[in-house]
Amino acid sequence: MAAPMRSGEGVTKETISQLNLEDVDSFSLIVDHVIGEKKLHTNVFLPSAFGAGMRQREEIMITKVFESCSFKATASGVVGVGLGMALGLFTVGIDPMSTYTTATPDQTPSTRAVLKEMKVRCASYGKNFGTIGFMFAGTECLLESYRGKSTLSNGTISGGIVGGLLGLRAGLKAAAFGAAGFALFSTAVDYYFRHG
Amino acid sequence: MSGLTKQQEKLVADLEMEMMADMYNRMSTSCQKKCIPPRYKDAELTKGETVCIDRCVTKFMELHDLIGKKLTTMSQQDEEKMKQMQAQMTGQK
Repeated sequence: MAAPMRSGEGVTKETISQLNLEDVDSFSLIVDHVIGEKKLHTNVFLPSAFGAGMRQREEIMITKVFESCSFKATASGVVGVGLGMALGLFTVGIDPMSTYTTATPDQTPSTRAVLKEMKVRCASYGKNFGTIGFMFAGTECLLESYRGKSTLSNGTISGGIVGGLLGLRAGLKAAAFGAAGFALFSTAVDYYFRHG
Repeated sequence: MSGLTKQQEKLVADLEMEMMADMYNRMSTSCQKKCIPPRYKDAELTKGETVCIDRCVTKFMELHDLIGKKLTTMSQQDEEKMKQMQAQMTGQK
């Protein structure tokens, strides 16, 4: 775009003429000022013209916290703990005797024994569910951040990773089965939520 | 401002405005095409899409700066060559 500056009028596309030294001179002068070193850095971008404009600093920080991977993982862990405790309470109500044996069988356990069983089982279930939720949510969030896309395979891969890690305590074969099982389960749940 | 007339300053401001608007349009079209798959089951942006858009915008701005620098160096080289040719022509005369 050769902009002849001789006339002093406004520059339009119709005034493009033969290229000579004055044009090249003024071109590089203008280019230097628009995108080169002599650009005036004002940071005035007229944000109101583009989209919703600038958000407040606090709003940006809060949004960043609520969308971070650590927050999501912790929230999932807390929900898992709650769910585990509820499930533990429920199963103690149904069958408190599965891990507790009285001195003579067929004897109904005392209240204290049942309460103790309740505490133990709630803690155990809560811990298990909490770690599963935390690990799965954290892994899925990290994977999604790394890949930059949100497809169905995110759930599969993170389910495989978490299942494998959790099953590693019981050996390699258990790890493989755990990985496969959890990956399948996670894929099914994701599929249901996406297409169901 | 080194030796810019008032009219040239206005031209620079207009050009910059137009350039920013054009860059914004291109950037939003390109990043939307690359990062957001055409499945609109949910109105919210997922984490993957947010991360993708951040990276796309950063890359685009960096690319824009790099190409701008290249353009200015190339136009400077052109200008010097023109000056040399002019000097040669006037020297021959």
